[in-house]
Amino acid sequence: MTANKIEISHLSVNYTERGRQFNALHDVSFGVGTGEFVSVIGASGCGKSTLLSVLEGLYQAAEGSVTINGTPLHGTGRERGVVFQHYSLFPWMTTRSNIAFGIKQARHELSRRERYQIADEFLGKVGLEGFGKKYPSQLSGGMQQRAAIARALAMNTDILLMDEPFSAIDAKNRVILQELLLSLWEGDSPEHRKTVVFVTHDIDEAILLSDKIVVLTAHPGTVNEIVRVPFDRPRNRAELIKTDEYGKFRNRLLSLLYQDVANRIGGEEVVI
Amino acid sequence: MTLKNRLLRVTHLLFAILLLVQLLPDRSSNDVHTGALIAFAVGLEILTLAGSFLTKKKESLSLLLDIVGFIFAILTVWSLATTKFDLLNPLLFPAPGKVFAQFAEDREKIFINIRSSLGITVKGFVLASAVAVPLGLFLGWNARLGGAATYISKFFSSIPPIVYIPYGIALLPTFRSVSVFVIFLATFWPVFAGTMSGVMHVDQRIIDSAKVLNVPKPEMLFSVILPASLPQIFLGCNQGLSVSFILLTSAEMIGARDGMGYYVKYYSDFGDYTRTITGLLVIGIVVIAVTFLFNQLQKRLLKWKH
Repeated sequence: MTANKIEISHLSVNYTERGRQFNALHDVSFGVGTGEFVSVIGASGCGKSTLLSVLEGLYQAAEGSVTINGTPLHGTGRERGVVFQHYSLFPWMTTRSNIAFGIKQARHELSRRERYQIADEFLGKVGLEGFGKKYPSQLSGGMQQRAAIARALAMNTDILLMDEPFSAIDAKNRVILQELLLSLWEGDSPEHRKTVVFVTHDIDEAILLSDKIVVLTAHPGTVNEIVRVPFDRPRNRAELIKTDEYGKFRNRLLSLLYQDVANRIGGEEVVI
Repeated sequence: MTLKNRLLRVTHLLFAILLLVQLLPDRSSNDVHTGALIAFAVGLEILTLAGSFLTKKKESLSLLLDIVGFIFAILTVWSLATTKFDLLNPLLFPAPGKVFAQFAEDREKIFINIRSSLGITVKGFVLASAVAVPLGLFLGWNARLGGAATYISKFFSSIPPIVYIPYGIALLPTFRSVSVFVIFLATFWPVFAGTMSGVMHVDQRIIDSAKVLNVPKPEMLFSVILPASLPQIFLGCNQGLSVSFILLTSAEMIGARDGMGYYVKYYSDFGDYTRTITGLLVIGIVVIAVTFLFNQLQKRLLKWKH
């Protein structure tokens, strides 16, 4: 078996809120192969964003370990690029400067001119040519996320961590952004593809983009099931959603997600 | 904008009225310097016309014309109340022309005084900001020290800086150095408090975003925390600036040998109210000019914020 790029084993995370301790994640284990696109889905409160914070290096796990390329994870790292739901970009920098600033942190060896050249190139790739001199506040939410993706890609990190990057975008633009991300990621030859961990609560988004989907259950967050997505790449949303296989696969994921809710409704506590 | 839009304005009518009023016979027996008033009004009208052609935005043209219109209206009323109908005590209420003539006559003296006042303000203000911003950044970033420093700065900023004057006089050799010291204190605390609160309230998501980029510590402070706190820093600076002018002019009225506050106080002691009013108007204009320039700087540095 080839070694995984990211290996998460027996990870537990505790949260303290108003003096009470919560077990946000409990005994979570899974691996992410090199060049693999893995989505983590689950109902709100299942700890999926917490899991990503641990991978980002912003949050410390109480137990268990995360290794990247075989070495234990310690804080933030240059091999990981991150796209958040909000405020990935600095509001006081123009779009171009934001990207160039990211490149500067990841790739010290480049000159200022090279950084701005790469920034412009990636602005073009995400369809933002001509918007380089705008400030984030002058862009729509969708455009801001495009720029954030451009920055993460321009930093040329091996790993891309995306924390519900399209959740705050309206439905129409979300679809456009998903397809943009899909085409950019699939655009690299399979051996050069980035390793992606993508957190979302949108099942269709997860199916369209991922090789593998990790379904989490809440309270505490544990892995319910890890499902491999059986559809060939490159994928085309319009064709994919018409097939029976897609419907079946989607139903299976739904039942995995709602099995959790159903269990809890049968139990004592219901959180929606 | 059409030419009609630019030129057919009430302001120009008010200008004409002001000139026509000057044709009325003078009731006042004093020297009223109508020539100086007319020179000022014509100069202002020419500048306004030039401005009308240069301004691109409709709103700023209207604003300019409204302000100038007000000035013409005030001058008309002022001139009617003094020169034309002699309704007011001529000693306390000099004719408008007299004030303009006085300004022309005293201009060198006035410029020296402005330079003295501005020199002190700029020195105290810049020095205070240069110390307060880095210190506030550092203490605000170290949350534990920041908590204590917030209370300390609240205590010191609650002391009206004017009460430092007697102590400053005991402490420092010259009036100038005392003034710089007092303005330093008046600016330091609001800027320091503004910087600290700015740093402590930077959105955690912005800090996380910088952390995952692996921004090194010094760059974190100056490329991320500083610009993120800039709006609050400017709030402190604005407060410091307006307090500085109040303080400086008050201090100059107490113990200075030059400065705008001194000019006003000195001549009012002699009952020379023409010069007193001239001084008041000049102080107003200087404060507005400085505030305007500072606001332009602020607009430029905060143009990312909408």
